[in-house]
Amino acid sequence: MEINPRDFREQSEKACHDATLRAVLDHATRYFQAKRGAALETFADRETHFARARAARLAALSRLPELLEQLEQTATAAGTRVHWAADAAQAREIITGIAQDCGAKVVVKGKSMVTEEIALNPALEAAGMEVWETDLGEFIVQLAGEPPSHIIAPCIHKSRADVAALFRAKLGLLGLSGLDGLPGQENLSDAASIPELTLLARKALREKFLAADLGVTGVNIAVAETGSVILVENEGNIRMSTTCPPVHVAVMSLEKVAATLEDAADILRVLPRSATGQKMSSYVSVLTGPRRPNEQDGARETHLVILDNGRSEVLAEPILREALLCFRCGACLNSCPVYQTIGGHAYGSVYSGPIGALLSSLLLPAQDTRDLPFGCTLCGACKRTCPLGIDHPRLMLRLRERVCQSSGTGLAGAAHSFLALHPLFYRLAVGAARAVDPNLDLLPRLPGFPGLANFVDTRQPPELKKPFSAQLLRLRKKQARTKKPHTNKGDA
Amino acid sequence: MSSANAREGILATLRAGLAAAPLSVPAPPARPASLSVGPDAWALLAAVLEPLEVRLRLAATPAEAARHVADIARERGAASYARWADLPAAAEMDAALAGLTRLEPNPSGCCQALARADLGLTFAQAALMDSGSLVLVAGPQRPRSVSLLPPTHVCLVPRAGLVADVSALPELLRRHAAASGAFPQGLLPSCLNLITGPSSTADIELVLVRGVHGPGALDVVGLDWDLE
Repeated sequence: MEINPRDFREQSEKACHDATLRAVLDHATRYFQAKRGAALETFADRETHFARARAARLAALSRLPELLEQLEQTATAAGTRVHWAADAAQAREIITGIAQDCGAKVVVKGKSMVTEEIALNPALEAAGMEVWETDLGEFIVQLAGEPPSHIIAPCIHKSRADVAALFRAKLGLLGLSGLDGLPGQENLSDAASIPELTLLARKALREKFLAADLGVTGVNIAVAETGSVILVENEGNIRMSTTCPPVHVAVMSLEKVAATLEDAADILRVLPRSATGQKMSSYVSVLTGPRRPNEQDGARETHLVILDNGRSEVLAEPILREALLCFRCGACLNSCPVYQTIGGHAYGSVYSGPIGALLSSLLLPAQDTRDLPFGCTLCGACKRTCPLGIDHPRLMLRLRERVCQSSGTGLAGAAHSFLALHPLFYRLAVGAARAVDPNLDLLPRLPGFPGLANFVDTRQPPELKKPFSAQLLRLRKKQARTKKPHTNKGDA
Repeated sequence: MSSANAREGILATLRAGLAAAPLSVPAPPARPASLSVGPDAWALLAAVLEPLEVRLRLAATPAEAARHVADIARERGAASYARWADLPAAAEMDAALAGLTRLEPNPSGCCQALARADLGLTFAQAALMDSGSLVLVAGPQRPRSVSLLPPTHVCLVPRAGLVADVSALPELLRRHAAASGAFPQGLLPSCLNLITGPSSTADIELVLVRGVHGPGALDVVGLDWDLE
C-alpha cells in the first residue's frame, strides 16, 4: 500500500467517518491506558525513575558522537561488524549486501519500526529473498499487505474474523508441510478462537525460524561501554531471530545509544511499564557479539547498522531535538484525542500519533509533512503522559512556525500585520476589496500575490450586510404589505 | 557514498549540531532505594510471579527439587526434555526424569534438535523480586534455545540469586565478565536473557494468549539451600 503523509488531511477526514475503526481505536486506546495506569499506580518513586530515564536519554544525546564511536569500538571488540548508513537507501544496500554475502534465502524479522522506516522488506524481496515478519501483529499486517497502525500493537485495527479470513487465504502460500492437530488453514472458520489463530501462526513461523539464514531486528538500547544491544519483546520472536539463524543484523537509529549499563537499567525500569503496563517485558535480551567458541546456538556472525536518515541534523535544533529522546513506548499515541479518532494509518508514515507527527516532520521531506504539526489540538495529553518529559505541543508549535516560514505567506502576512496595526487603512483596504469582490473568493486567485491563497484559505470573511439598495427595496415591500389593510396612513 | 564516508559525515554533523547548540544535562535525582532482600524474599517472588501464571515451588534439598521437576513434567505431559549441562543437582534431575527422552543439543543443528523437546530445564543466575524476572546467562554448556523452543520451560533459581530489581543487572554482568574464564577479559557474555513470565501476545483483539513463539508455560523451582 502506497502511503504518504501528504494525504494526511484527506486520510484523517476519511478515518473520522469510519465508525468501525473508531470503535476499535476507542477499545484499544482505553485498554492500553488502563493497563498503563494500573502499572504506574503501584510503581514506587515513579517520578524519580522517570527523571532518571530522561537523564539517561539526555546524557546520550549530549555525548552522541563520542558514544557512537565508543559503541563502534566496543561492539567491534566483541566481534560484531559495525556499519554506518547515512540514509535509508544506504542502510538497505548494506543489509542486502550482508544477506547476499551469507547466501540468505529466508530472512526472519523481529518487530522493528526502523526497518519499516527504511523499507527493508521490498529491498530484500527484490534481491530474491523470502522475508517474514515474525511478531504476530506484524505478520498479520504483512499478510494483509498493510503498514502497522500502532507502535506496540500493529494490527489493533483487525478483528479475529479478519485474521481468520486472512490466514485462510494466505497461509497456504507459506507452503506448510503439515498442520497436525490444527484446523488446516483452508477450512479455518471465522469463529476460530484467538488462541487457535495464534497457534497456527506459531506453527507457520516456527518452520521459518528453523529454516532462516538471517535474522533482522531493531535495537531498543545499544550500550556504548560494552558494545551490547538490548532487545525488548513479549512473544519470543526476537529471541528466535537472534538464536536460530546463523547471522543476525541489528539496525539502530543512532539516538538509541546509552552510555552505560546503569543508564540502560534505568531505561528498562520505565520502558515496559509505560509501553504495556508490564513490570518487565516477557523477554529482554542483552546480546554482546556473536556466539563464543563452544557455544551451541546464537548467531555466529553479528552486524550492527547505525542509521542516521536525517536525525543528525536535528541535534542542532535546541527545541526539536527533544524528539530524539523518545524510546517508542507508544503511550502518547494512546493518550492523544487525535490518534484516538483517526488511528495510525492516516498519518501516512510508519510513525503515528504525537511522536509520529514530530518524527515524520523531522525526518521526511518538508513538502510532504506540512499538515502533520497542524493535526494536533495542543491539549498536552501526550506531554503529561510521556515518561521522558518530551514537550510535544512545544515541538508542534515550533514545527508550525517552520512550516509557515517556508510556505510563502510572507508578503500577505506582512501586509496583514500592517493593516491590523492601522485600522483606517484596514477599513479602506477591506472596503475596497469587498466593493469589487464581496465574498473575497476572487482575491486568492489574483496573480502576483504569492501566498495570498494560503493566507485567505484558512480565514472566513464575515457575512456582508445587504447593500443599502436591497435594504431599501425590502423596506418598501414591507411597507406595501402593511399598507394594504389601512389607507393613507403615513409611515415613519 | 561508502559506509566510511557516511560515518565521517554523521559524526561531523552531530559534532557541529552540539557545538552550535550545546546540550547540558542536569544531574538526575538519586536512584530510589531498592527493595531489601530479607527472609520473605521467596514469598515476594512468588507473589510477583503469580499474576504471570508462573508457580514457584520451593525445594530444601536436591532430591526435593528433582521431585518438583518430575511433577511439572508429568503435569505438562512432557515426553522429552533438554537441559543445560552444568545444572545444580543435575544427577538428581536426570534420575527423576528417567522416564523421559533426553535430547542433546548438537552444535550443527541445536535449534532443530531442541525444537522437538517438550520441556527445557535451565538455571537462573539471579531473579529480580521487583518484576519476577529470571536472569539467564548463556554459555558453552548453556544453549539459549533450551529456555525458548520447548513449550514448557522450567527454571531453577538459587537462594543466593535473589536480588531486588533490574538495577542489580550491571554489576551482575560485570562480575560475570570478570569472573568467567571462558570469556575474553572484560567481555560480557554473548547473551543474557531476562525472562518474565511465559511468551505472550495480545496482538489479536488485545486478548492475551500465552505461548506464541516461546514457551507457553514457565515453572520456577526455588533452590532453598546454599549452593557451593
